[in-house]
Amino acid sequence: MRPFHYSRPSSLAEALIDMRDALAAEPNSSAAFLAGGTTQLDLMKLEVSRPDRLVDLNALRGEAGHIRWDGTSLRLGAFARMAEAADHPDVRARAPMIAQSLSLAASAQLRNMATLGGNVLQRTRCAYFRDTSWSACNKRVPGSGCAALDGVNRAHAVLGTSDHCIATYPGDFAQALLALDASVVIAGPGGGRTIPFARLHRAPGTTPHLETSLRPGEIIAEFIVPAGGWFRRSLYLKVRDRQSYEFAVASAAVALDLEGDTVREARVALGGVATVPWRAREAEALLRGRKLTEEAARAAAQAAFTEAAPHAHNAFKVELGQETLVRALLQLATMETPR
Amino acid sequence: MSLDQVTDGLAISFDLNGERLSLSAPPAERLSEFLRERAGARDVKVGCNAGDCGACTVLVDGLPVCSCTTAAAQVEGRRVETQSGLAKADPDGQALVAAFQRHQAAQCGICTPGMMVSAVALLREVAEPSEAQVQDALGGVLCRCTGYRKIIDAVRDAKGSASVAPGGVGTAMARVDGLPKVTGTEAFGDDVAPAGALTLRVIRSPHHRAAFTFGDIEAWRAANGLDLVLTAADVPGVNRFGVIPGFEDQPVMAEGEAKFRGEAVAAVVGAGERLAMLDLADFPVRWTPLPHALTPEEGLTAALLHEERAGNIMCRGLVQRGDAEAALAGAAHVVEGDFSTGFIEHGYIEPEAGFAERVGDRIEVHCCTQAPYMNRDAVAKVMGLAPEGVRIVPTAVGGGFGSKLDLTTQPFLALAAWKLGRPVRMAFTRTESISSSTKRHPSQVTMRLGVNADGTLAGADFFGTFNTGAYASWGPTVANRVPIHASGPYRFADYRARSVAVHTNCTPSGAFRGFGVPQSAVAQEQLLDMAAEALGLDKLEIRRRNALTNGDETVTGQVFDTGMGILDCLDALKPHWDRAKAEAAAFNAAAIGTKRRGIGVASGWYGCGNTSMSNPSTIRAGITADGRIVLHQGAVDIGQGSNTVISQIFATALGVPVERIERVSPDTDLTPDAGKTSASRQTFITGNAARLCGEALRAQVLRLGNVSEAAVIEITPGAIRLTDGGAERVVPLSGEGYALEATESYDPPTKPLDENGQGDPYAVFGTTAQMAELEVDTALGTVKLLKITAAHDVGKAINPLLVEGQVEGGVAQGIGLALMEEFLPGRTENLHDYLIPTIGDVPPVDTLIVETGDMHGPYGAKGLGEHCLIPTAPAILNAIADACGARVHHLPATPATVRAAILAAAT
Repeated sequence: MRPFHYSRPSSLAEALIDMRDALAAEPNSSAAFLAGGTTQLDLMKLEVSRPDRLVDLNALRGEAGHIRWDGTSLRLGAFARMAEAADHPDVRARAPMIAQSLSLAASAQLRNMATLGGNVLQRTRCAYFRDTSWSACNKRVPGSGCAALDGVNRAHAVLGTSDHCIATYPGDFAQALLALDASVVIAGPGGGRTIPFARLHRAPGTTPHLETSLRPGEIIAEFIVPAGGWFRRSLYLKVRDRQSYEFAVASAAVALDLEGDTVREARVALGGVATVPWRAREAEALLRGRKLTEEAARAAAQAAFTEAAPHAHNAFKVELGQETLVRALLQLATMETPR
Repeated sequence: MSLDQVTDGLAISFDLNGERLSLSAPPAERLSEFLRERAGARDVKVGCNAGDCGACTVLVDGLPVCSCTTAAAQVEGRRVETQSGLAKADPDGQALVAAFQRHQAAQCGICTPGMMVSAVALLREVAEPSEAQVQDALGGVLCRCTGYRKIIDAVRDAKGSASVAPGGVGTAMARVDGLPKVTGTEAFGDDVAPAGALTLRVIRSPHHRAAFTFGDIEAWRAANGLDLVLTAADVPGVNRFGVIPGFEDQPVMAEGEAKFRGEAVAAVVGAGERLAMLDLADFPVRWTPLPHALTPEEGLTAALLHEERAGNIMCRGLVQRGDAEAALAGAAHVVEGDFSTGFIEHGYIEPEAGFAERVGDRIEVHCCTQAPYMNRDAVAKVMGLAPEGVRIVPTAVGGGFGSKLDLTTQPFLALAAWKLGRPVRMAFTRTESISSSTKRHPSQVTMRLGVNADGTLAGADFFGTFNTGAYASWGPTVANRVPIHASGPYRFADYRARSVAVHTNCTPSGAFRGFGVPQSAVAQEQLLDMAAEALGLDKLEIRRRNALTNGDETVTGQVFDTGMGILDCLDALKPHWDRAKAEAAAFNAAAIGTKRRGIGVASGWYGCGNTSMSNPSTIRAGITADGRIVLHQGAVDIGQGSNTVISQIFATALGVPVERIERVSPDTDLTPDAGKTSASRQTFITGNAARLCGEALRAQVLRLGNVSEAAVIEITPGAIRLTDGGAERVVPLSGEGYALEATESYDPPTKPLDENGQGDPYAVFGTTAQMAELEVDTALGTVKLLKITAAHDVGKAINPLLVEGQVEGGVAQGIGLALMEEFLPGRTENLHDYLIPTIGDVPPVDTLIVETGDMHGPYGAKGLGEHCLIPTAPAILNAIADACGARVHHLPATPATVRAAILAAAT
């Protein structure tokens, strides 16, 4: 690990200034923020991340660590810990999918440290990215190639891939936010802005090293999750190689608004199978207005994977991903929801 | 206020176990390292440095976090609690200390701090947690020894008090060495280096096979302020080591060509802080990748890894009797299949670690190891010293399972400390531990099994190909052992089993709990089920019908007069089998969704000790003039409990309370050679040496007092009081050192195998039958285990609770083998890509202890360690097939694999 500058701002405003100054002094700075640290510190020790400056955001919890229901939306402060959101009564009662996605994501030890903002920004677990002894990784070293394309790619993505990167987005919580049409409140040196969560992550395309639409020096401050008729009837289903803490092989974040057994509104996002949190809008469109039968669920699942592009070892993810979505839909159809 | 400074020297103020500390450190130093190295909290254990294993869990403001993924700066102004502090001063911590001891919830002890710290946080919230609550709270802490069940029991019973008093053979007493493990004072390989010791890191090949040359090493060393760089040129003795005579083929550091990814080519030594700031990728070495072979098929035609081994075949094994081909031709049914398993990583939570120092003209190595005397002799050869010039002092061992038999840190530490004249320490990173240590051999088995119409076995033909990696390690042992065991504990008149071990450019395969037998059982026990299906016979019944009994000949022609207890194990399972069969049938009859239940059974057997080879153990003990009873116990306890078992045996033989025994721990200067901790040999072989030693000492005492065998001995300061009938005698004790002393050895009686593998390879076999109950989601391919019932004939349970601990831990490893584990060189070199079972993956385990006795074992006891996992994987696979008709041939049975098998079975 290389030496670096370190600062510990005591407010969001100060943090933005620290980073702005760092970037002004050194435009090519690799300065990074430190929140919960469970990803950033890990990658620094692996020599994957080599920041020349670290801006420690741990003092910001008081400012952006809230979890609250404002009457129409859940408001999740980006510096709240995963455990705080997962265990929060408002989250659990109003949108079970969010709590499930967080509880299933990581062990208690990690949930107690990792922040919500950091969680959605976690980096891929692609071994060719995380292990610097592999020279080819476009995400780590732009233009160096992709060792996964011809390597062991069982865990890799089948949706949203490009010839430059097939690394899977590893998270769980992001799928819930995406399905629920959350928005992201961003604080930046030039002021704040709010974007749809769907615009936060960028598919790899030709620039896999650019993973989000955050601009240099910006910090996620809050997620706003607007309530809808689908809030309570929501579920995060995660299929893993190990039946306990483990990244998803395939997962589905699904929320339904039903009228009788007819779908009024469906929200579907997929994990474990795509390079970014993946919204399955084709599946949603097929479900809307239809009776939720197994046949309808299968048609939707098929539609969700129409564009799947598997590689040598991960073809199974197409069918497993479909089965996961079918299961989630059927399970939700029979779920008792308190009114 | 914003601080802005370069990394080193941020003052961090925090509370550690109630004490206010202010220490200077780089802000992004791992909290685990900060606590261990700067605050002296060595009770914080490091297992993975990636947030995967949870061994380093501490409480920050009351919440459990992984201290390895927490930056030191993040605890500024906060409250940190660790195991030692909680054990000392926290009521829940103290309750857990007692409960962990009572339930034997700590085996090796390396995960225990993480478990207990997490449990304290839970108990502060929930006084009487449910099993699910314990599983969630402890879910982030991995354990490779216990199978988690005793940990769950201990946490849920933290407020309880029932305990077992110490006692001799047959008593479920707490571990004699347990307290340090549960109070945070146990010292493992990375906990013993003196302050100021230099740190060593190894430079390893990133390629499966590559030629290499060095640049200007000396200039690089000087520029980076390091003390030493080692290469093969610095080895004063023989740059080769190994574990089997004639197969010492592995260099400490490669010369010119690295033969597997992770092979050492150089080592660097310097101050710890300097090394922490160094990127070893900058080391001046130039690699030229060469064509490589990763599978046996590729290995057979690849360039020779070792000149003398044609076709890259390291060795072959054979057992044959009768005429297998003719028997198969005449069988009513023949079932056959190909089965394969991958590399399996031992996954002990303690990475290889230790330190060495030069003492005069000797070198002393303190390290975690399973084989101190073998290490001593091997290090001596590397160093060009006489064996007596090397002292190996084993530290506590945080799990071994076979891989800590081989040299890892030892030669590097010895070379560096010798050369520098300063203490040198090292701990493998998790990645280097996984990439460079030995693995379970991947297996490809083709087997045909014939049955007669009456359900008896007609014959079998087995061919197993094992990927033995780049160097021999214990490959020859696997190749020899498998043909003997591939019959399972059944009668065969006509049998042929062949094995071949092939070199590849993979990490060396070596010893891992079972030496190849778990792999052969995956094939053989599944085929037995397929044969039962062909016959329409109950799967427990086909095993009962063919079970070896005393007086039968095994496939090597060996006949046992005592101890062949497989039928007793199967009979012990019978009521459970009938119950489970009915329950699964009822569930499936009522099932409307995609979930189906299944049950499966499998048997296993395992010969204790080396195969047809002398492998003695020696135990020494003495009584001092002031009445101390000292046991020189050189068998390394790697968590399985040999310290306790051997003490119980010795105390019973001598006729004194076990709590009177003081142990001298393994140390090649202080304890005689009790052999290696492997092959399920310590209870049987070292146990016998301890029994003989205790009996010899007792005989001396009785002779001095001129009393009968029935006399009661009481050893007191200055005298031994003997009570024989109504009479009392006193034998005075005097002199320096030991007033009375005995040293005894035991070597099990075996006979060599002839060219057809016929002979008496082992004095003792242990046998087992296990049953798995599970649920398969036939749409998703997921498997949920409901229960494992494990019947084990241990001859005599010296300590029944330790037996359960071994069984539960072995079952957990069998679950991993069956469902999730596979090491891929270069791809799964950490504990998130390489999956081992967590507390959520191990269902209740019901251990049925069968005690049929044995004429050779101490008090009738047999070994147990390896037996526990042999039947687990095939029992699970048989249960999957029972549930959904899908036969899994290639492990692990991940959801994708099970789904594919279900789809294949449906077409």
